[in-house]
Amino acid sequence: MASGVCPVADTIHWLSDIISGGDLKNARCRQRAEEILRLLEDISSGRAGKEHFPAIQSISTNLVSESPDRTCVDTGKELLARLDEHRETFLSHLQTQNCPDAACVRLAPAPCQMACPAGIDVPSYVTLIGQGRDGEAIELIRRDNPFPWVCGLVCTNPCEFMCVRGRIDKPVSIKYLKGFAAEKAMSDRLYRNPEKSPDKNRKVCIIGAGPGGLTAAYYLALNGYSVTVIEALPMAGGMMMVGIPRYRLPREVIDQEVTMIEDLGVEFRFNTRFGRDVTYKQLREGGYEAFLIAVGAHASYKAGIAGEDRYPQVIDAIDFLRRVALGDRHIPGRKVAIIGGGNVAMDAARTSIRLGCHEVYIVYRRTRAEMPANEEEVFQAEEEGVRFSFLTIPVEIMGADGKVESLHCLRTELGPPDESGRRKPIPVEGSDYLLQVDAVIPAIGQTIERKWLDDLQDLKWTKRNTLSVNIASMETSMEGVFAAGDAVSGPATVVEAIGGGKKSANAIDRYLRGIPHPKMPPVPVRRGRVDFIEIPASTKMALVRPEMPMLNDERRRVTFQQAELGYSENSVREEARRCLRCDICIRCGTCVDICSKKMGINALQMGYLDFDNPGPTDFRLTAERCILCGACASNCPTEAIKIEDRGNERLLNLCGTILNRLTVEHCEICGKVTGPAKYHDYLKKRIQGINRRLENRVLCLECARKTTAESHVEMTPPRVLV
Amino acid sequence: MSKYYLFQDTKKCIGCHTCEVACKANKNLPVGPKLCEIITVGPVFVGNQPKAAYTFMPCFHCEDPWCVAACPTGAMQKRGKDGIVHVDPLLCVGCKTCMSACPWGAPQWNPETGKAVKCDYCIDRLDQGKQPACVTVCTTHCLQFSPAETAPKVRRERYAKAMSSLEETI
Repeated sequence: MASGVCPVADTIHWLSDIISGGDLKNARCRQRAEEILRLLEDISSGRAGKEHFPAIQSISTNLVSESPDRTCVDTGKELLARLDEHRETFLSHLQTQNCPDAACVRLAPAPCQMACPAGIDVPSYVTLIGQGRDGEAIELIRRDNPFPWVCGLVCTNPCEFMCVRGRIDKPVSIKYLKGFAAEKAMSDRLYRNPEKSPDKNRKVCIIGAGPGGLTAAYYLALNGYSVTVIEALPMAGGMMMVGIPRYRLPREVIDQEVTMIEDLGVEFRFNTRFGRDVTYKQLREGGYEAFLIAVGAHASYKAGIAGEDRYPQVIDAIDFLRRVALGDRHIPGRKVAIIGGGNVAMDAARTSIRLGCHEVYIVYRRTRAEMPANEEEVFQAEEEGVRFSFLTIPVEIMGADGKVESLHCLRTELGPPDESGRRKPIPVEGSDYLLQVDAVIPAIGQTIERKWLDDLQDLKWTKRNTLSVNIASMETSMEGVFAAGDAVSGPATVVEAIGGGKKSANAIDRYLRGIPHPKMPPVPVRRGRVDFIEIPASTKMALVRPEMPMLNDERRRVTFQQAELGYSENSVREEARRCLRCDICIRCGTCVDICSKKMGINALQMGYLDFDNPGPTDFRLTAERCILCGACASNCPTEAIKIEDRGNERLLNLCGTILNRLTVEHCEICGKVTGPAKYHDYLKKRIQGINRRLENRVLCLECARKTTAESHVEMTPPRVLV
Repeated sequence: MSKYYLFQDTKKCIGCHTCEVACKANKNLPVGPKLCEIITVGPVFVGNQPKAAYTFMPCFHCEDPWCVAACPTGAMQKRGKDGIVHVDPLLCVGCKTCMSACPWGAPQWNPETGKAVKCDYCIDRLDQGKQPACVTVCTTHCLQFSPAETAPKVRRERYAKAMSSLEETI
């Protein structure tokens, strides 16, 4: 995460050194420097407003222009230079409340948020879901992703791979929580659009109604632009609709989320192919000022084997899935071979099973470990009866009378890694065999259908046959023409397209308002600091990530009903409580160090804090040794771990997890809380042998001082007079 | 005990708290901690007159300090050359053990730094040949700081005087 030096944190260190080093002799000048330091610290800790940056600039200017000596002037100049050079980073700290270098500890983002291509503030919404506030959770998610329901069902959840809870047991089930909240909010009619900005009366055209295009349409429409989406298919959704099969993503889910976008006044033109039914020139003349190309990657690569073009029963996976999605439910054949090991291959195989194919084979040239498909998908495909033929290379599709009869295959062995880092499959000589099939579905990979964009001759393309864009602004080589989604990234995921769509919407807005584009790609935004959910340490440890209940195997083999049935409400609320709140706890390990090395108590066992070598973690063990001294809390840089007195008890609270709670003792004189007995025992043990006279007295600080003062007083006491 | 003695002539003290203010300003302390404190005892009636006493309570810099024994990190130290008990902020982790251990309430809590802080007779000023901050500002000059062997004899003299004249002046 810490990729570089954060200029905000760096400037704070530099200025503190100057101030504490006593270099600034002039009092006025020192006062100004201290003021600047305070403002910088506000920025670095998330307390600053938008006035902070100009304020620092203006005080720095004063340092330069009004200072009597050289050091002050130089300090001011250096400050101005830093503000100028890193203006974007300073402003980004203010706007996003995140410091991606994690140098400003209070702004260090959670790993799940940084892993999300759409940059969703995961810990905040997971906590809201844990509190039963689904509507608010969805509202928060939709500030970064207008498709929480879709993503809750089909996202590849990179967030969960980074989830810190996974170092203790299993990652929080972030994806399914989101899916549940979206469905619940939709059904409770709490799934609402935010307030739209006033109309700007400026037209933007989006080509392609897939996740990238629709996301851009959503944010642009919210921003007051008049958005038209051009789509070649008869419906919105793009690959979500015609690539992802219905048993994973029901059509209603897409339709309902698209309706939300349509509600903002976005105009759709279906059955309209850009480059054929409408041209760039026509649209420009129609008053569109900016364009977004989000056409996806709908063309298939050829498998490159003999016989591929000879038989009608050879159909590429993308065509096959599109055909089925659009309602053609004819089976490709009784025995089908799918070539490839990616998610599209799994989708094609599982779709074939559902259409009624008796035997479905996945032919893949490496082993299960190298397959790019999601583990869950592979597992579910196996449950449904898909057979896997690993270490197999297809060489020829064979048949007679225009019909496929078999797939000629070779066995392979894995050799040394190739340039992609994966072990290269090497054919074994003489291992030829025939797989008896009557249809073959190559699922080798997808690329962009470039011919429809041929009109735009100024567009630059990459070597990978994708559109070349500026990664910070998503602008193509043509002015005012932006691009996002698979057309830029090559075949990727829904959530990556959403991230790109959001980024381009922002860039289009800047372009149309004449604001210069940023130099750096946008940083995910912290959307809140939601209060912790309180939970006992034992519960925090005992909660188990729930298994996803599935439709029974028999029904999954014959219908397109949704295979994953969804979590129960109860298990969702419980699961959300497993979150460790890494948006607040930065896992610096200071608390553990202090407790074991400084205090010698060793109560905190939190091995998950070490990223590289996670050790055992058990929150329940804290209570065994912890004396509630509070040293961990005093040194926590983000207030993730806190000591609090509540009634007759003192508690140690780590992001809501109650690590320890003990009854407190009170001052003998005033009744003020002095701390738990275990703490006083520790104290007695340490001062043993010095003085035992007072050791059983429990006095608070003030009363101790007062008692002493009284015993020292030099005043004629009444009793002497008597 | 430290080799110094901070003498307060309670007879002269008017309880103006200037010493406290100077102390906090010198150590740049927020609301809360009072390294030295004027504790008002009374008022009580002495005959028909209400009387109050103002006791200056700094740290006593004990010979065998409980706070030093209690401190688990070695932050609380007694300086060898002059016996001053002080906290090293770099070592202090804010466990408050010293505060709970001290029977006189000398170590205080600094909520801004999350560390303990206490009277160290302004150790940095002493090393520069200056006096503790509280002493330098005392309005009535009732606070006096010196090596123990040259401690003022005010009290002894006053007592002797009282004894000899049989006046009730203590």
